Amino acid sequence: MSGKEKTTVKAVIDGRQCEFPQGITILEAAKSVGIEIPHYCYHPGLSIAGACRMCLVEIEKIPKLQISCYMTVGDGMVIHTDNERVRRARKAMLEFHLVNHPLDCPVCDQAGECGLQIYYMTHGNYLSRLKENKVKKTKKAVQIGQHVMLDQERCILCSRCVRFCQEISKSNELGIFQRGDREEIDVFPGTQLNNPYSANVVDICPVGALLDKDFRFKTRVWYLESAESICPRCSRGCNIEVHYNLAKPWKNEGRRLARLKPRYNSEVNDWWMCDEGRYCFKFVDEEDRIEEPLIRTESTVRKTSYKEALELAAEGLRSIAAATDKEIAVLISPRAANEELYLLKRVFSDQLPGTRLVFSSATPFEPTEDEILRKKDKNPNTKGAGLIGLSPDSADVWQLSDLKDAILAGEIGALYVCYHDIPGLPEELSAGWAGAVERIGLVIYQGTNHCATSEKAQIVLPAAAFAEREGTVTNFQGRVQIQRRAFAPLCEVLPGWEIMQSLGAALGGSYAFGSAEEVFAELAENELAFAGLSYEIIGSSGCVANGAKV
Amino acid sequence: MPQVKLISRFFEIENSHQLSVYEQNGGYSAARRVATEHWAPEKIIDTVKASSLRGLGGAGFPTGVKWGFVPRDHEGPRYLVVNADESEPGTFKDRHVMLNAPHLLLEGAIIAALSIDAKDVYIYIRGEYWEAFRVLERAIEEAGQAGYLGQNVFGSGHTVKVHLHRGAGAYICGEETALLSSLEGFKGWPKLKPPFPALKGLFSMPTIINNVETLSYVPIVIEKGPEYFASLGIERNGGARLFGVSGHVNRPGVYELTLGSPMRELIYEHAGGIRQGRQLKAVIPGGSSCPVLTAGEADKVNLDFDSLAGIGSMLGSGGLIVMDETTDMVNVLCRICKFYSFESCGQCTPCREGTGWMTRIMERIVSGRGRSRDLDDLLEIAGMIFGNTICPLGDAAALPVTSFINKFRDEFEARVSNGSVAAASSPLNAEEL
Amino acid sequence: MSVSFPEKDRKLVEEIIRHYPHKKAAIGDVLYLAQKHFGYINPEVELYVAELLGLPAAYVHQVVTFYSMYLEKPVGKYLIMVCDNVSCMLCGAGDLLAGIREKLEIGPGETTADGKFTLWSVECLGACELAPAVMINEKLHGNLTPEKLDRLLDSLE
Repeated sequence: MSGKEKTTVKAVIDGRQCEFPQGITILEAAKSVGIEIPHYCYHPGLSIAGACRMCLVEIEKIPKLQISCYMTVGDGMVIHTDNERVRRARKAMLEFHLVNHPLDCPVCDQAGECGLQIYYMTHGNYLSRLKENKVKKTKKAVQIGQHVMLDQERCILCSRCVRFCQEISKSNELGIFQRGDREEIDVFPGTQLNNPYSANVVDICPVGALLDKDFRFKTRVWYLESAESICPRCSRGCNIEVHYNLAKPWKNEGRRLARLKPRYNSEVNDWWMCDEGRYCFKFVDEEDRIEEPLIRTESTVRKTSYKEALELAAEGLRSIAAATDKEIAVLISPRAANEELYLLKRVFSDQLPGTRLVFSSATPFEPTEDEILRKKDKNPNTKGAGLIGLSPDSADVWQLSDLKDAILAGEIGALYVCYHDIPGLPEELSAGWAGAVERIGLVIYQGTNHCATSEKAQIVLPAAAFAEREGTVTNFQGRVQIQRRAFAPLCEVLPGWEIMQSLGAALGGSYAFGSAEEVFAELAENELAFAGLSYEIIGSSGCVANGAKV
Repeated sequence: MPQVKLISRFFEIENSHQLSVYEQNGGYSAARRVATEHWAPEKIIDTVKASSLRGLGGAGFPTGVKWGFVPRDHEGPRYLVVNADESEPGTFKDRHVMLNAPHLLLEGAIIAALSIDAKDVYIYIRGEYWEAFRVLERAIEEAGQAGYLGQNVFGSGHTVKVHLHRGAGAYICGEETALLSSLEGFKGWPKLKPPFPALKGLFSMPTIINNVETLSYVPIVIEKGPEYFASLGIERNGGARLFGVSGHVNRPGVYELTLGSPMRELIYEHAGGIRQGRQLKAVIPGGSSCPVLTAGEADKVNLDFDSLAGIGSMLGSGGLIVMDETTDMVNVLCRICKFYSFESCGQCTPCREGTGWMTRIMERIVSGRGRSRDLDDLLEIAGMIFGNTICPLGDAAALPVTSFINKFRDEFEARVSNGSVAAASSPLNAEEL
Repeated sequence: MSVSFPEKDRKLVEEIIRHYPHKKAAIGDVLYLAQKHFGYINPEVELYVAELLGLPAAYVHQVVTFYSMYLEKPVGKYLIMVCDNVSCMLCGAGDLLAGIREKLEIGPGETTADGKFTLWSVECLGACELAPAVMINEKLHGNLTPEKLDRLLDSLE
């Protein structure tokens, strides 16, 4: 007797003989062999409801059709997901879903990505035979939370949102009230849907019942294009999609970046992202984006080219480097991608050895943290910076307070600031900095948006925002992930790594990287933690550094 | 044929709800025997199996077989749940049992609990049954004081505790898994099956749910022997049951007959025939969920599970609704549709949307604005609901629509053709496209 | 929290909870107790019950709005529930409703101006042999005619 435990089952799906792991549902089994069974209420990240009945399939020897989202594959089952009987049932279920559904498509944001529309085209009846009035519900287009709009009439009562609030955010704001076709999804009277993950219900709502207030009426989704990226708002590094509109630039006040959506990654964020991350992108198209390099003197501010600005910067930095009583300091931010940080370290160590590297992960954001996704480090690349030797624990790397002391002691002749705006930091960090930056002769600010610090800098270098450039960031678990470029930067703005390269050239060096990927390739060769990694290996779901398999 | 007087004898004994009177009439001897003789669960179950007693709430599942599904080796509690949610239109027999023979029910519950090793029994009684609730409450107290309930029942060392739980007005809670959801402290939402309650039921523990009447026959089966009970009726259908008759009859009420008795006997002999000397038109045989019978069908069929299933209907809850020649079948079907759409729990799409849709079509027909295609639409919608829902309420809503329209088509056709003028003038009629 | 049970009701709640292995299962009877004490169950009462049983407020609201017998709004002193399901409809429920319309000038869902009577038309009460049947508050009345119902209503103070 071998005593071998049976862990697989054999079944036939749509005429194909297959083998599946024991316990798998028919829907998931079908998905694994490329068969998509329509469904609304089923979501792999939530408990099974079995309510919509769209996923009914026929199993031979069982008289009634069965829901494939719940039924597990049994050994020897013969399953039909697309025969005449199943197709008729599917049409029927879809017709039921539409009985009380309002014809809101022309004014509904969900159009183009709506579960009813999608299945209607492939599985529907086309002609309606409904002659009755539709059931009216209480709330139509009512804001039920800071980010979420509710339209109860469009709701198909799949209960995904209710289950999300019970099982994921564990905040229990939503419920299905009343009975029968008078049922309504709603919050408890007098309350709001305001948990830190509230907008995920918009993602999982198959129809336009729950919609994003921020995105409302901004753009039709068929004008949107998508790029894979990583949320820049904290060290979790939730996988996201950047949805942007270039096709109709007169829409949405000309903003290119329309919205962020979470992207599934079982190792990082599953199917979810927090609201703070989801809505952090406004700065990308804000009025105060720095569009061109600036040179500021006592009396003037003038626009210039990177060439002129960087030559001026190089000249200034060289003269401070030559002076014996002053030092150069570089204030580094873990908002920067790995490629930029690597080149920064290389350029300054090659061209201006002795430069003080200062690292701060301070941000103006509330250090919110929970057991779901949010981390209190509101930077995407602190771990990456650390792995390149730029963490506060690294040898020879200063903290913010060290820099302050040095400035107040008159030791800093030039300060290159990357992305930080100290006056904007919380009181306990910005205290004592009043008037400090003004003491420094040469302040170079590199960042995306104007701020108090950029207003004081002699040289301002605009940098591309995360959606405008390619780069890798490393999350708190050491997972290296790629932020793809969604669209070209404003005007001629350069990504941070390319600014560093150009600065290096202006300082007399020679750096010839053609892309962020090329920078990463060298980074991987020279930094032990990243050994063996490449963009190809990192792919869409990332790869853990330092011990990851090649 | 005369009625049998197994349960119904208690309807005629004064103060039969009192423990002393019940005992004077032989009550609690069966349970006492089972408990003090320490009958093994298998013995109890085999006895009930041999009687061919079937579920009398509507589903008709063999009772002894169901009890046998509870796993022997389960660690943790098991539960017996008494379904006293009687809400099927046309059904009122359980109310009579609880008012007149509450101790018979309790005795049956004790025996059932012993057969599945359940120490706690929950009686889920519909909220509207205030009087029955109070009678049961008093009976439970009496039985407890007498030592027949609680720890050490009849001095046997066994524990059987009975808890009364009130419903709050929802027909769906008569469906066993919806009842469990409600009892656990939530909406009456049916659960996905499998697992079945016998394996994973109340509070996720093995649970048997039985109807009031079914349990009330158990002491009788034990007392008089399963062969006697089985012999009263016909094979595989159990001995006797309570029938409710209401509607256009002279003597509406509860009648206990042997299984297999002719339906015409129940209607004309026991219930006194049709009022005002009128003619029979239609009969709903076992609660509104059962396909309606024409007068011709009612005239020929016998009252047992198999015979009624054989003509495409059901014995169901045994609640006959008798309709005479003055009955407007269209109005009746409309009212039945309204019932199911009001009571639909709303959890699954075909029932939630379909019952409401069918009701609105029927209301339109009743108000004279029907279209000729409405009837075929209704039949199709009923077919789209049937078999595709989480629980049988969807089926129960579909069967009346199918049976009424198919069997009384002329009447329905006449009603919609009168309204066809309005229909023809409406734009975008799909048939014209 | 501005609503709460008096001491004796709180003790009753403890008693109810003892019948179940999980506190949540007591919600049915606790809501009945709340309804008895407060007259009806509004969001404030739901919040109180939620707190008593350690449940989310939205959960309690789901239960209250699902069942017909939990009152979300106050009703008259006498709640008249006329069954008009099949058997009662066949035996004259319509006449009872018409009689009430004439006498009290209310239809189903409405309350008399003096707040004495609320009328509901309800589903099968399980009293079909007494059709047409009516419940008034907790009492069942059967074999009614419009006249008998008339007299019955007159007798209520």
